[in-house]
Amino acid sequence: MKQMNELRKYLWIARISARSNLSYVGDLVGRIVFLATVLFIFLKLWQTTFGQTGATHLGGLTLTQMLWYLTITEAILMSAPKVAQLVDEDVRTGALAMQLVRPMSYGWYRLASALGERYVRFTVNLLASALVTFLLVGPLPAAAGGLVLLAVALPLAFLLDFLGNFWVGLAAFWLEDTSGLLLIYSRGVLIIGGAFIPIDLYPPAVQPLLRWLPFANITSGPAHVFVDPNGGDLLALLVRQLAGAVVLGALVLLTYRAALRRVFVNGG
Amino acid sequence: MNAVDLENLRKTFVLKRGGLFNRTTTEVVAVDGISLAVKQGESVAFIGPNGAGKSTTIKVLTGIMRPTAGAARVLGLVPWSDRSKLAYRIGAVFGQRSQLWYHLPPNDSFELLARVYNLPKNDYLKRRNMLIERFGLAPLIETPVRKLSLGQRMRAEIAASLLHSPSVVFLDEPTIGLDVVARQELRDLIREWNREEGVTVFLTSHDAGDIESVARRVIVINHGRVVLDDKVSTVRRKFLRSKIIGARFEELPGEINLNGVTVLKRSGYAIKLEVDTELTNMDVVTAAILHAGRVADITIEDPPLEDVIAHIYGQHNTKYAQASK
Repeated sequence: MKQMNELRKYLWIARISARSNLSYVGDLVGRIVFLATVLFIFLKLWQTTFGQTGATHLGGLTLTQMLWYLTITEAILMSAPKVAQLVDEDVRTGALAMQLVRPMSYGWYRLASALGERYVRFTVNLLASALVTFLLVGPLPAAAGGLVLLAVALPLAFLLDFLGNFWVGLAAFWLEDTSGLLLIYSRGVLIIGGAFIPIDLYPPAVQPLLRWLPFANITSGPAHVFVDPNGGDLLALLVRQLAGAVVLGALVLLTYRAALRRVFVNGG
Repeated sequence: MNAVDLENLRKTFVLKRGGLFNRTTTEVVAVDGISLAVKQGESVAFIGPNGAGKSTTIKVLTGIMRPTAGAARVLGLVPWSDRSKLAYRIGAVFGQRSQLWYHLPPNDSFELLARVYNLPKNDYLKRRNMLIERFGLAPLIETPVRKLSLGQRMRAEIAASLLHSPSVVFLDEPTIGLDVVARQELRDLIREWNREEGVTVFLTSHDAGDIESVARRVIVINHGRVVLDDKVSTVRRKFLRSKIIGARFEELPGEINLNGVTVLKRSGYAIKLEVDTELTNMDVVTAAILHAGRVADITIEDPPLEDVIAHIYGQHNTKYAQASK
């Protein structure tokens, strides 16, 4: 019963967060314009690359699949809430310490809030980018199946990204400025996470390492199971995401406990 | 069971200065052996100059901070180890930090708090409606908090802190930054809540008006120690022996020269006097005023509590300085 009450508490927070982000929908036209520009540039880049190499598949993907891959990674990237910045601000203003007066876990509150916001933003971004990509390269074969697999891969992807950002934000307890750390993390997601170039196109020697790092399982992994739906690939992705969540989760928990010790000693 | 019990509470901070090779550490004593007890239903003003240890004490009492030594109990619970249990029974408002959700209207924050505190729906709705009415929140209940004025926000903050019917409310400088009208409105609400609902109010403030309007008991701390713990009325009576008399005449008044009487202000037909009641009697002074001219109006007031508190700080600082030599 107590656990049910706790779950309801955080579901409500997620719901409120989603609701307060519905104004994002009003930005749909702006999103479409921005994504049309970005995806058009990507299309030209990959058309040139496919043309120059004479290949029909690069990294196991056709040109159509490549652009739909980028559609998903863009939608994921652009839906990221500013968790690190919010946590950083809460640490510096003492708001995190003040939350301790309430019977609510700060970590679960931030997670629920982030997920509520993220799903709304992701949906809007996906609609915008899908419309643009459909107009540029047409539909994706087996999109329905891909969508189901994507829906299964997204929750853990969002959780991983939240844990990474939350950990960066907590660094504010020790660092004067966390923006450097945040830059490293965000570039990690962009570059070695396969957001712009699928992992399959990286040197074969580093591919296994890159696949097991959390970054690739936030953007590249979900995008890949969408464009090339395969139950085996999804299962492997889920295993990697879960492993990443356990490791990152443990790191976050240890860091959070150390942070709370500082609060209990210094009051904020 | 008392609302608050503190026994020899002590809190020190370690300040580290310097670089890697010439680091120095200094121990700063923020709270230096505070002992006090607050009964349930009391309204207590906990005051002191900046750096006296007020906020540190509140943070210990709300479970945000652990003391270095000593004991603390709020409603019989140890704040830092029973924090989750205690959270359901206390409310807190920190004047300089908002606890409402900035982008949400107060109504949504209340809904959220109802779930945070696991309030049954019907109880929550009844309580919410009562708070909205009593705190005059109806016109702003659907306006995002970021668009509210400071006074409106503070009313909403205090209403939110009472939503779950706490037994004790900690208010850390709740009127800071408010204009005169908003400040008085808030004081009236806090006082009513204490008197009518029996909520224990533990208020910190720099503002003497907060103390006079809200509290029946004042605890003054300085340099981390309690220097005074008494009723507000007794403090004023015991620690200041002067009265302020204002008089307005129908003609230009004559001079008033009496031992123990200082003319604070003289302009046109009005004068303001400070009377040292240890050196002279009030009937002698009033007789002298009536003799000075035809009196249109006369008022006799206690000096502002600010002066009383400044006097207490001044006395304690002198004793502290002498003890330190």
